[in-house]
Amino acid sequence: MFRKIVAAVLPPIVVGALFLGLWELIVKAFDIKPFLLPAPSAIWAELIDRSDDIIDATLNTGTNALVGLLFGVVFGVAMSFVLMRFQVANELITPLAVALNAIPIIVLVPVFNNMFSSTTEVPRRLMVTLIVFFIVMVNVAKGLRQVSPTHLELMRSYAASPTSILVKTRIPNAVPYLFTALKISAPAAVITAFVAEYFGGRQNGLGYSITSNAAASRNAASWAYVIGACTLGLIFYLVSIGLEKTLSPSDGSTQARQQQSGGLTPGGVTT
Amino acid sequence: MNNSAVVNPVPSDAVVVDGVSMVFNEGQQNQVEALGSIDLVIRPGDFVSLIGPSGCGKSTLLRLIANLLDPTAGSVLVNGKSASQARVEQDYGMAFQQSGLFEWRNVQKNIELPLELKGWSKARRRERSAEMLELVKLSDFAAHMPWQLSGGMQQRVAIARALAAHPPLLLMDEPFGALDEMTREHMQAELLRICAAAETTVVFVTHSIPEAVYLSNRVVVMSPRPGRITEIIDVDLGDDRDEDSREDDEFYARITDVREALRGADRVAGARGIEDR
Ligand SMILES: Nc1ncnc2c1ncn2[C@@H]1O[C@H](COP(=O)(O)OP(=O)(O)OP(=O)(O)O)[C@@H](O)[C@H]1O
Ligand SMILES: [Mg+2]
Repeated sequence: MFRKIVAAVLPPIVVGALFLGLWELIVKAFDIKPFLLPAPSAIWAELIDRSDDIIDATLNTGTNALVGLLFGVVFGVAMSFVLMRFQVANELITPLAVALNAIPIIVLVPVFNNMFSSTTEVPRRLMVTLIVFFIVMVNVAKGLRQVSPTHLELMRSYAASPTSILVKTRIPNAVPYLFTALKISAPAAVITAFVAEYFGGRQNGLGYSITSNAAASRNAASWAYVIGACTLGLIFYLVSIGLEKTLSPSDGSTQARQQQSGGLTPGGVTT
Repeated sequence: MNNSAVVNPVPSDAVVVDGVSMVFNEGQQNQVEALGSIDLVIRPGDFVSLIGPSGCGKSTLLRLIANLLDPTAGSVLVNGKSASQARVEQDYGMAFQQSGLFEWRNVQKNIELPLELKGWSKARRRERSAEMLELVKLSDFAAHMPWQLSGGMQQRVAIARALAAHPPLLLMDEPFGALDEMTREHMQAELLRICAAAETTVVFVTHSIPEAVYLSNRVVVMSPRPGRITEIIDVDLGDDRDEDSREDDEFYARITDVREALRGADRVAGARGIEDR
């Protein structure tokens, strides 16, 4: 087990270290100006220097992402039951959700910003909720509906009530779909919370700090906030994987299937 | 045509299929006449195999007995009750070609599912599932998840689940279809042992002539679509059939009978101009 973790973690660390070394070397050797590309050592210095502010900004953006994620999951799951129950709703809403997923609905943020006062986080959280909502709704509804016909025939042969069929067949069947949705939503929530800050509103998050520092040509500082953003995204993703591992350890078949299909596992973030 | 099956049905009969026909999508463009007029009586303790060309309606007939479908015409009685009543009272257990185990339940919980739905207490369920696990020789695998078992083991769990509530009737649709020949013969022997122990009546759909003959005391041969019963062949391999019975003269003689009956059924269909797939 331990060797496996080392084997999975070591190569990316080595590659990362080599990459940073090379970066540092090139910046030094060609005397590249900091406003073009700051050296890793300069970024590190900024990271230490501004650590308090970076942590604050990360927490602010992270809270927006988390709140939006939670609301999105709750509403998405609730709506998926409606889609399961009413074929018409499913036929109307699912294509809409898929279409919405294909366009960058994040451009709605300025509209939301106009709807609420400029001192609130509501527009950003609303945006995250909306994005997560559609991802969760579509996936979980699929899990509730796409039950094996053999399972349904068996349940009918046991004269199972509709409630039993829901509780013992449809809901357990949808659990892996929920975790898949979570793994997609968690990073999406961070990205949305972060990008939403580009469109104005309160000036307290990572997205704002990156743009404002970049605009002032403080590139090293920008990069230091980028590190905060990467950490945040990674934490969300790892927590969603951790939840799946601890809450549905029984469902090896779907786990195996997802890992085979090159899912994003911590050891091999290749896709 | 041999209609020996229709001798005076009595209330104690396990299954009575009376003049049943089945038309799918009636009146629509994709209408399919799956079953002609079927009469069949199955006595308690019978092991009856349904055999016939693909698409002749074997699964349909089994689903009608299970009340998973309603016949277009005719009636089905199970244990002297209507098929729907029998289903509600869980008078039968069912097993399919795919084991149909619930991936999120371990072996024991899978076997206990029908008992749960019957409202049995936990202690009673535990006791029965342990008993069933012993019957299918999987006691050591109670806590395993379905995907940790081989195909043959999964199929045995499915049979244990079908038998868990001790139903008087077991309906099986090509349950060994996906297994290799060795496992299959082993499973056939196991099934005979289990059903003899539980005194279960079995209706068994298969594509394999040797399988039908080895397992059954009656083999029902069906014609191509629309499915009809063309012949019913009695098999007498004795009560204690075992691996040696597969070398019996009776075994080979009945295999020949079934094969000829199937050919005959084909010819009849051909003469009527029905496609023969
Ligand atoms: N739900 C359904 N709707 C429409 N047609 C059906 C349905 N189920 C079965 N049929 C048709 O009824 C006919 C008999 O099907 P059935 O599955 O009973 O055949 P079978 O004898 O079990 O075949 P096989 O040996 O290949 O399993 C087929 O022509 C099939 O197309
Ligand atoms: Mg079939």
